[in-house]
Amino acid sequence: MMTLSKSTPSAAPADGPATSGVPISPPARKRRRRLPRNASLIIGLVLTAIFLTVALVSLFYLPSNPNIPVIRNRLLPAGTPGHWLGTDVLGRDIIAQLMVGARTSILVGAGGATLSLLLGTIAGLAAAASGKITDEAISRGADIMLSIPGMVTALVLAATMGSGALTTILALTAFFTPSFTRVIRSAAMGVLNEDFITAAKLYGRGKIFVLARHVLPNIAGVMIVQFTLYFAAGILTEAGLSYLGVGVHRPSISWGLMLNEAQQQVGVSSPLAIWPGLAIVLMVLGLNLLGDGLRDVLDPKLARRAS
Amino acid sequence: MNATLHDNKLTPPLLEMRQVTQTYMLSRKTLLGARPSLTVLDNVSFDVRPGEAVGLVGESGSGKTTLTRILTGMEKPREGHVFYNGADVWAGDAERWRNFRRSVQVVMQSPRSSLDPRMRIGLSLLEPLRALKIEGDHVARVHEVLDQVGMTRQALERYPHEFSGGQLQRIAIARALMPAPKVLIADEPVSALDVSIQAQVLNLLKDLVNELGLSLVFIAHDLSVVAYTTSRVSVMSAGKIVEVGKPMDLFTRPQAEATRNLVGAILTVEAGLAGNALG
Amino acid sequence: MTQTNPGRANALEVRNLVVHNSALTAVRGLDFTLPAGGRMGLVGESGSGKTLTALSLMGLLPMGWQANGSVLHDGVDLVTQSDKALSSRRGRTISMVFQDPLSSLDPVRRIGFQVSSVIRRHTQASQQEADRQTLELFRQMSLPRPEQLMRAYPHEISGGQRQRIMIAMALACYPQLIIADEPTTALDVTVQKQVLRLLNNAVQERGCALMMITHDLPIIAAMCDMVAVMYAGRIVEIGPVAEVFRTPRHHYTKGLLDSQPTMDNIALDGSSRLASIPGMVPPLQSLPKGCAFHPRCAAATEKCRTTIPTLEGDQRRAACWHPLGAEAAADAEVKAQ
Repeated sequence: MMTLSKSTPSAAPADGPATSGVPISPPARKRRRRLPRNASLIIGLVLTAIFLTVALVSLFYLPSNPNIPVIRNRLLPAGTPGHWLGTDVLGRDIIAQLMVGARTSILVGAGGATLSLLLGTIAGLAAAASGKITDEAISRGADIMLSIPGMVTALVLAATMGSGALTTILALTAFFTPSFTRVIRSAAMGVLNEDFITAAKLYGRGKIFVLARHVLPNIAGVMIVQFTLYFAAGILTEAGLSYLGVGVHRPSISWGLMLNEAQQQVGVSSPLAIWPGLAIVLMVLGLNLLGDGLRDVLDPKLARRAS
Repeated sequence: MNATLHDNKLTPPLLEMRQVTQTYMLSRKTLLGARPSLTVLDNVSFDVRPGEAVGLVGESGSGKTTLTRILTGMEKPREGHVFYNGADVWAGDAERWRNFRRSVQVVMQSPRSSLDPRMRIGLSLLEPLRALKIEGDHVARVHEVLDQVGMTRQALERYPHEFSGGQLQRIAIARALMPAPKVLIADEPVSALDVSIQAQVLNLLKDLVNELGLSLVFIAHDLSVVAYTTSRVSVMSAGKIVEVGKPMDLFTRPQAEATRNLVGAILTVEAGLAGNALG
Repeated sequence: MTQTNPGRANALEVRNLVVHNSALTAVRGLDFTLPAGGRMGLVGESGSGKTLTALSLMGLLPMGWQANGSVLHDGVDLVTQSDKALSSRRGRTISMVFQDPLSSLDPVRRIGFQVSSVIRRHTQASQQEADRQTLELFRQMSLPRPEQLMRAYPHEISGGQRQRIMIAMALACYPQLIIADEPTTALDVTVQKQVLRLLNNAVQERGCALMMITHDLPIIAAMCDMVAVMYAGRIVEIGPVAEVFRTPRHHYTKGLLDSQPTMDNIALDGSSRLASIPGMVPPLQSLPKGCAFHPRCAAATEKCRTTIPTLEGDQRRAACWHPLGAEAAADAEVKAQ
């Protein structure tokens, strides 16, 4: 069912509401061609599944050892039998490196997103459901954390703990938790304002029950969508950190590390940078599409309107 | 003041608010100044007797929302008392509180918001029984209550979004009936519904009062809807109850200015066709 | 002021208007004519398509919705007009008053500026001239302390005042047609009458046409001379208000009238029962075959289940295979007295 009267006029148009006769002029007739409803979900799912499979396979099978230099094979071009994407300056197979890189990217991205989802959910729910003082403390704490540049946190962590996958995951957690907290807090507040929460309280249901049985199921959609988006952001950030030399290092391999190494050879063989770059783009694109698609499917409000 | 207007003076009230004053503290205007306060209820008394249907009308801001919150136990009054069955609900033990919770049930304005969209109807209906730890054959009770509100058992396995507003309001009423309450408090139960559905829900509430011997407190901004459902109506204005009377008397001989305004605000098709509706 | 050719053609001629998106058809072929200066009420419940109809007239359909058919207004077909052409019409020849005045006003601009900029946009008036006209409008709307109000922000005034500002804004350029979508639903009952009265007077003075969209029959009775009753995207009955409301021909119209809790049909001693329409408004994606109202109609026959009735009649038209006849009409007449 459409609820037009309320939702439509509130969309503040760019050209200033006061200038048109009716105080609104939303982009009414502009028919933005959108992808069919589930296309982004399907493309995202396929891309993500491919990378997940590659990462899994890399645990059992690699075409060759991606860390042992084979000098006679150095800088083979793409298309060489046995090294279909070629080799790097030390003769290491690109495909093998990409496969291990997928594993690292997914581990770090998912690890950072999962940890921050957990912490952010706990903090966000606590802020939404407790009193004003707790809420203020958590919200202002999140603001302060957000105001510290993420790169500084990462560098400090790398300097104190040494760089590596675990450090990167912790750095990502530090970046993402405050944003997660905010999103979860506002989503939970929305649910807590609904009348069914009042009803539950009137039957004498306590806070924990309300949060676990009413709030969490209703914000699960938001959580899943946010998770996929931060998963993607985590992969990007990891690539950035490794590229700068404060992320993972060999024998671990990440796409960012490959970019870093390729950059040193850019005068010798520029295609080397393309493969890890492409992997990053496709993986991040896939996760973002998946997040978008899931948002359409899971958002209870959208679902309600469509029904 | 209220009791004198009631026919049956001998029956003690089932649910009663006595001399309740509710004040909210506002935030400071200046750094060191005293916090200003807002009195939303000013020495208000209100009651409902067993099997009686009473109404409460008033404009927005008149204090009827706060009165509802206090009557249902959502808010504790700063001054004054709430009695259920003669006992102060805020001064008793846990058992008294549970009994009050169980006996006074609420139907809210927005049926969409009052049911958890992620919970099947059946589970939503069981919730009050489980939360209040009420023993008995829960399944039989669910079926009985569904019959009372005119819904079929197929509803149990479904989710709220599969129903229309009118059906959801029936389900919300069913949930309120689950713990076999003595008092039903309906806060604007039809104002979010379509005209043709409003009549169905109003008739249902009326039938429930008659058949189950429930007490009903019906809160609304529309005097004609309240008049249709109840036999005694209180009019609120600026935090006070300014008039109490039978609907007929309020319509024909409104005393307080707030009542006159409410009666004057009623538009009817006939007056409109006669051309004097806006006069 | 641009009060174009008085004694002119119709304010609105709607022919076979269909509003749909990729999955649903919400308005399924509307035909009606609103003469210049006429007042038409559009009644319907949620899901009847009345709000989408109004939005399509203004070219303000939400994303994904599309209008087909023709809507003639001021010599042009609104359905085929470009965004730009429509936007230059909004506020000038057609304007709209929405349900929620708070979300319709820009919260960070002063009220006076918002109204005067509408005037300046559509006329060549100077700022001083526009301000003067705005003040005048505020006075006509019986707004208290109009000079102060010019400098106020929307959140500083009451809902009733905001809606009066919206009406002032809609009237600012002497439009030929005002579309009011549930203009008093968000207001307190005691303010409703005053706002309606002001809208009524303003429309009368300017001689502009009014299209009133609401689910509230008494408001239509008070404000309009024509009424179109919509059900599931179609007009089921249309005609002069007094005739339609006194002697409804469609069973749905009658049901709506009977389910009004008013002083006329309740006994006020708590003993009466309201007549109600059984069932519920069908969802758009699963409309019943034939007459969309048949599952809720006591008079439905096999024909109603299979064939969609058309609007029959001249001045008074009802889309019903078994219209309420003389007998029912007489009953209603008696009841009305």
